[in-house]
Amino acid sequence: MRLRTLPRRGALARLAHLVTLTGLAAALLPATVLAHGPTRQKVTEQVTINAPAAAVWARIRNFDALKDWHPAVAESPATQGNSEGSVRTLQLKGGGTVVETLESHDEAKMRYSYRAKQGGALPVSNYASTLSVRADGDNKAVVEWRGAFYRGYPNNDPPPDQNDEAAVRAITGVYQSGLAQLKKLTEAR
Amino acid sequence: MSARGSGAGNCIRDVALATALATALAAAALPVAVAAAPFAYITNQGSHDVSVVDLALNQVVATVPVGKSPAGVVAASATGLVYVSNPDSRSISVIDMRSQRVTAEWPAGQGPVGLDASADGRWLFAADWYANRLLAFDTQQPGQPPRATPVGQAPAGVAAAGGALAWVAERDDNSVALVDAAAQRVLSRVAVGDHPFALLLDTPRQRLYVLNVQSNDLSVIDIQQPTQPTLLATVAVGKAPYGAALAHGGQLLYVTNQHDDTVSVVDAERLTVTRTLRGFGYPEGVASFGDRVYVVNWMDEQLSVLDAASGRTLAQVPTGRNSRGFGAFIGAPP
Repeated sequence: MRLRTLPRRGALARLAHLVTLTGLAAALLPATVLAHGPTRQKVTEQVTINAPAAAVWARIRNFDALKDWHPAVAESPATQGNSEGSVRTLQLKGGGTVVETLESHDEAKMRYSYRAKQGGALPVSNYASTLSVRADGDNKAVVEWRGAFYRGYPNNDPPPDQNDEAAVRAITGVYQSGLAQLKKLTEAR
Repeated sequence: MSARGSGAGNCIRDVALATALATALAAAALPVAVAAAPFAYITNQGSHDVSVVDLALNQVVATVPVGKSPAGVVAASATGLVYVSNPDSRSISVIDMRSQRVTAEWPAGQGPVGLDASADGRWLFAADWYANRLLAFDTQQPGQPPRATPVGQAPAGVAAAGGALAWVAERDDNSVALVDAAAQRVLSRVAVGDHPFALLLDTPRQRLYVLNVQSNDLSVIDIQQPTQPTLLATVAVGKAPYGAALAHGGQLLYVTNQHDDTVSVVDAERLTVTRTLRGFGYPEGVASFGDRVYVVNWMDEQLSVLDAASGRTLAQVPTGRNSRGFGAFIGAPP
């Protein structure tokens, strides 16, 4: 728990944050990296798309397809396709990576779930997320993206860019921008 | 399913037995017409309050503001007090079941999470998540700071084990420890699955159930010799199990699986999953009373009321924001 002895919002704390993001901290501070804050956060975003649910699902169903529809994602290769345990590595256009593991993939229910122990480029930890599509009539679909996560900073007194609010803001931004782009792409003629 | 198919006769007999027992217990515990229905105390981590649900009405009868981000809870019926852990204000709020008001707030380490109380209500145990300690408050010595026993990394769930003894889940060490809080030392320790969070004691069977969030299973620990706990079985359940309760006369173990939005029903005798109930929203806290099971849905912000025997959902009661109910959240004033 060495991070706790650092100044609250000083340069050292920011440096510690950067070190955490590099993954170096995993070797140096295993216990600190494993732990998470006590307050789990959540975000649920939805978008209604004027298209059949099956067509929307076809666009997003593949775990490695995120690069095709999310505006912030440059690459999203997955190790085992849509099999449980498949690991995808997102290369973000703004720099940084996020590594996520597929937890379940359900064609019939048109949804998949994944989780990430560390948020990588996102200021979250112990992140779990589900993306799903449901029909709303024949030519309308509702896409829901929901996530549960802890803030990136595992100890008390998080710096402002690693606190609960920062975590919620980041995930909300990911979901809103992705769903808006999905709607745009799907409805485009 | 198999529980129903193989034991319909048993079921009826056990229901009759349970009913007779409940009646006898009620007669003993509530001699006068107190009509003190039990209450469920649901911690709402996002709205910093506790929803008090009258279980006779399945309605919220009070919303009690507490400290910041309440998570853990234990309703100590012996004393009529409810304890709530507030990790973000580093304190414990005390609610009186008779008035449904906060009567005290105690400083409690660096971030209290899991709570439990001894059966007589004297000892209150709190896992101090950041400081890697188990705190024990002796309620017979009010105002005294708690006794602190160093334990493993990220202590989470707590199970009182008689007097000043308590089990604590050491989440980041993948182990469970038995603590003598009066002597402030660890008596024994046993390795379990990955990231144990919640604990549940099964006193009649001398077992401790440990829910492993990362390995998606529960470790069943034989504690007949508490100083030499041994792993009896590992039972695979759903993804991210976070809460457990014994129901239906102790025959069924209900386990909440957060990432699957399901509840596993385990035959506690045979240690097999007999059915998986669907339709929950990130279920976490679970407790039973009579022949009902109460499941707290963190995502959906409601309390599901289930029939313990069939697993059928009978009612849903809206709670507060990000409700958790992590602990033994049902109690009735003495």
